[in-house]
Amino acid sequence: MTSVSTELASRKAVAIERQAGTPWRRISGLVAAYIILILGVVVSLFPYFLALMTALKTPNQVFSSSAWSLPHPATLQNFIDVVTKYNFLDFVWHTLIFAAILTIGQLIFSTLAAYAFARMQFPGRDQIFWLYLATLMVPNIVTLIPLFLILKTFDLVNTWPGLVLPFVLGTPFGIFLMRQFFMTIPRDLENAARIDGAGTMQILFQVILPISRPILATLAIITFVPAWNNFTWPLIITDTNDLRVLTVGISAFQSNYGTQWNLMMAAGFIALGPLLILFFLFQKHIVRSIHLSGFK
Amino acid sequence: MQQLGPDGANFGQGTTSAAIIPQPGLLRGRRQFKHERRLALQAYAFLLPSFIGLLAFSLIPILAVAVLSLFRWGLIGQPTFIGLGNYAQMFSSSSFWHSLLLTLYYVLLNIPMQTIFALLLALLLNQKIPGRGIFRTLFVVPWMATAVAMGIVWQWIFDPQYGTLNTFLGLFHIAAPAWLSSTTWALPAIAAVNIWQYTGYNMLFFLAGLQGIPPDFYEAASLDGANPVQQFFAITLPLLTPTLFFVLVTDVIGSAQVFDTVYVMTQGGPGDATSVLNFNIFRQAFEFFHAGYASALSMVLFAILLIITLLQALFFRSRTVYDLS
Repeated sequence: MTSVSTELASRKAVAIERQAGTPWRRISGLVAAYIILILGVVVSLFPYFLALMTALKTPNQVFSSSAWSLPHPATLQNFIDVVTKYNFLDFVWHTLIFAAILTIGQLIFSTLAAYAFARMQFPGRDQIFWLYLATLMVPNIVTLIPLFLILKTFDLVNTWPGLVLPFVLGTPFGIFLMRQFFMTIPRDLENAARIDGAGTMQILFQVILPISRPILATLAIITFVPAWNNFTWPLIITDTNDLRVLTVGISAFQSNYGTQWNLMMAAGFIALGPLLILFFLFQKHIVRSIHLSGFK
Repeated sequence: MQQLGPDGANFGQGTTSAAIIPQPGLLRGRRQFKHERRLALQAYAFLLPSFIGLLAFSLIPILAVAVLSLFRWGLIGQPTFIGLGNYAQMFSSSSFWHSLLLTLYYVLLNIPMQTIFALLLALLLNQKIPGRGIFRTLFVVPWMATAVAMGIVWQWIFDPQYGTLNTFLGLFHIAAPAWLSSTTWALPAIAAVNIWQYTGYNMLFFLAGLQGIPPDFYEAASLDGANPVQQFFAITLPLLTPTLFFVLVTDVIGSAQVFDTVYVMTQGGPGDATSVLNFNIFRQAFEFFHAGYASALSMVLFAILLIITLLQALFFRSRTVYDLS
C-alpha cells in the first residue's frame, strides 16, 4: 500500500517536472508561439490596413496613389461625412436593434430546441433534427423569392416584424451548434439532479446552462456578427430610411457613377467598431467553466 | 482516434449511473407510460417556437422552390408546367457539370486548410499566454468585415500591376500570375480569401469545444508519460469530434454555397472559370430570368449536400466520443 502511493507520488513529480519543463524551454516555446501568432495577425489585418489607408485619404489621393501608400496629409473628413451627411448613426442604431433581437431570440429558442434534440426522448427526434439540418442545404438565393412573397402576403414588408421574424425563432445552425455541445455534457450531471427530484426546466437552467457559458458566448457571437453584416435580407424586405441598416447604407457608396472608395472604407470601419468591442467582451466567456472542471 | 484505454480515462468512475437510475424496463405500466408521454410533450413544447419559424420561413419556401423547379417561369407572368424538363436540360448542359466540378474543387481547396489552421490556432490560444484575448479578437476580425468592402480590398491586393501581392513577390523576383484574370488561379485566389476570412471564425467553435474537456484527463495522461502530441490524439481529438462534425458539416455546406466573394471579385470569370454552382443559380434566376431552372439547380445542390452530410454523419457516428465518463 505505501509502496504504491510513494510510487504514484514520484511518478506525479516526474510528470509535473516534465510538464513544466525548464524555464528556458518555456520561454522559447512562448517566443515561438508569439512569432506564429504575430505572423498570423499580420495576414489577418493587412487588408484592413489597406482599407484604413483609403479611409484616411481624399478622393484625389485615392486615385493618384497606390492602396498601401500612406495618406499625405491624412484626413478624417470621410468619417465626419459618413456620420453627418449620410445618417450613419441612424443606420448603426437600426442595425444594433436588428442584431440584438436576433441574438436574444437565438439564445432562447435555439437553446430550448437543441436541449430537446440532445437530451430528451420523443418519437421522431432524429428525423425532425435532420429536417432542420436539411434546410441549411438549400441555397437561399432562390428561396428568398417565396420567403419575400410570404411576408408580403401578411403585409410585413418595410416593418420591423418582417425584418426579424424569419430568424428570431432560432436557426437550424444555432440549434445544431448547441445540440453538439449539449451532447458532450456528462449524463451523470443530469442524472444526479434528477435523482434529487429536479424537473427538466430546473435541470436545464440550474445544471446545463451554468456550464454552457463558453458555447452560449459563441452562439451569441456567431449570431450577432452575421446579423450585423446581413445585407441581402434587409435589402429585400425594406426600402425606407427608417429601417435602413449599415450594410445597405455602405453598398450605396457603390453606384453607377463609380464607387466612393474612401467613404465606403470609412463606413466599413464605423461598422466594425461596435463588433470589435462586443466580441472582446464576449470572448472572455470562452474559458473553462468552474463547474465542469470541478466535476471530476 | 478511437476510445481511450480503460485505465486512462475512467478513473474508476465505472458505470455508477446505470446502477442508480431506474432503467426504462424496470418501471413498467401506466405510470411509466404517462411519465414518458409527459416528457415527450415537454420536448415538443421546447421545439415548438423554432419549428413554427422553420415551417413558415424555411420549409414552405423550400417546398415552393421544389414545385417551381417543375415549371418554366420568368419571375413575372404565368409559370408553365414542364415536368422534369429543367432537370433534363440541366443534365445535358455542359455549364452545369462545369459549375458542379468547380464547386467540388472549391470545397476541397477550402475545407482542409481552413479546418487545420483553425484547430491549430484554437489549441494555441487555449493556452494561458498573455494577451490571448487580443489575439483571439484579431484573428476573428477578418470574419467581421462587410463582404463588399473586403472583396474590393482583396481585388486591390490581387491586382496584377499595382497589387500589393505581386509588388511584394516582385521584390523576390518571383513572376506572379494575374490572379483574378487567370483561369487557373482565380478560383484558388477566391478560396484564399475565404480561408483568410473563416479560419478565425472556425477557431471559435474549436475554442468552445476545448473548454468542455476536463483538465484531469490531461493530468492523468501526463502521469502515464504521454507527450503533448500523444495527448492530442488520445484525448483532444476524440473529445472534439462533436465540434469537428459540426464544423465540417456547416463549412462544407457554406463552401458549396459560396456566392458573395465570387460576385464581388470575379463575377464568375474570367470566362466561366469561377462560375460555381450558387453563382450559376443567381445568374439563371436574376440575369436570365430562368427562375424555374434556377430552382432545379438549387434542388440538385440540396440533394448533393444531403448525401455528403449523410456520409459525414455515417463516418463520424462510429468515431464520435460524446462522454468519456
